[in-house]
Amino acid sequence: MPETAESDYAHLAGHRFPGGSYTLAEHVSWLWADAIGAAPDAAMAHPSLAYFVAIRSSGVAITDVFELMGATADSGVLMGEVDMEFDGMLRPGATYEGEGEIAAIERKRGARAGAFDRLQLRFTVREQGSGAPVLRCGAAWIFPRAEA
Amino acid sequence: MRADSLQPGQALEPHVIESVSPEPMKTMAAILDDPNPIHYDAASVRALGLGERPINQGPSNLGYLMEMLVEFAGSAERVRRVRVRFLGNVFAGERVECNGSVTSVDAAAGTAELAVEASADGRPVLSGIAVIGVD
Repeated sequence: MPETAESDYAHLAGHRFPGGSYTLAEHVSWLWADAIGAAPDAAMAHPSLAYFVAIRSSGVAITDVFELMGATADSGVLMGEVDMEFDGMLRPGATYEGEGEIAAIERKRGARAGAFDRLQLRFTVREQGSGAPVLRCGAAWIFPRAEA
Repeated sequence: MRADSLQPGQALEPHVIESVSPEPMKTMAAILDDPNPIHYDAASVRALGLGERPINQGPSNLGYLMEMLVEFAGSAERVRRVRVRFLGNVFAGERVECNGSVTSVDAAAGTAELAVEASADGRPVLSGIAVIGVD
């Protein structure tokens, strides 16, 4: 079990992303399905697109999160966990509006992994013009940290 | 898919990628706007001491696992929840095998819960649970 301590970035907990909208272009849905070996479907996007749609519709990019966390492309950032709950399906061509925030940041230290920050993100996504969420998504990213 | 056609312990048909290709990693890097060169540049992977071949994106590994669920459930619409931990990297050329089994069926709620996992050349890379809709 990793030891837990306060992260240098703990003050970011509660940080809300700007929000926004993202149109899931038909070609993106097609290319995504093709890249994972699934049959592209013009009416229904592959559900594994949910994580990506959640991030993009919340007005944030992977590089934005890296910058907030003081990381770069070479920092060895890893995905730790993802939790997607669907209240509807994603459709190619549809526009989604998202809200997202940094839910928590914990500094941990594992015997093998060394010191790292576990960043917990939380997103809610609605199809434009619809009040009910189509998707709720949580994700944890792992940011390796040099030992002091 | 009918609830009474499922039993706890019932195994899903494994979903196998015999050899993960590095080419789709480039597509994914562009779609995700992911600047990490480990997904498209073997020299960067070597320089970081992570191995010799490009490393697949986590969302792609997740996509393989969720494709198993779509095939089992019969439609993407039936996938209600997926929660997984990422346990390791998948390198280009590796064989990925996704497996799952039914853990419980709730006919009243119209759902079935599954245990799911994926491995790369025998190493665990994903582990978690999924919920699908049933009639």
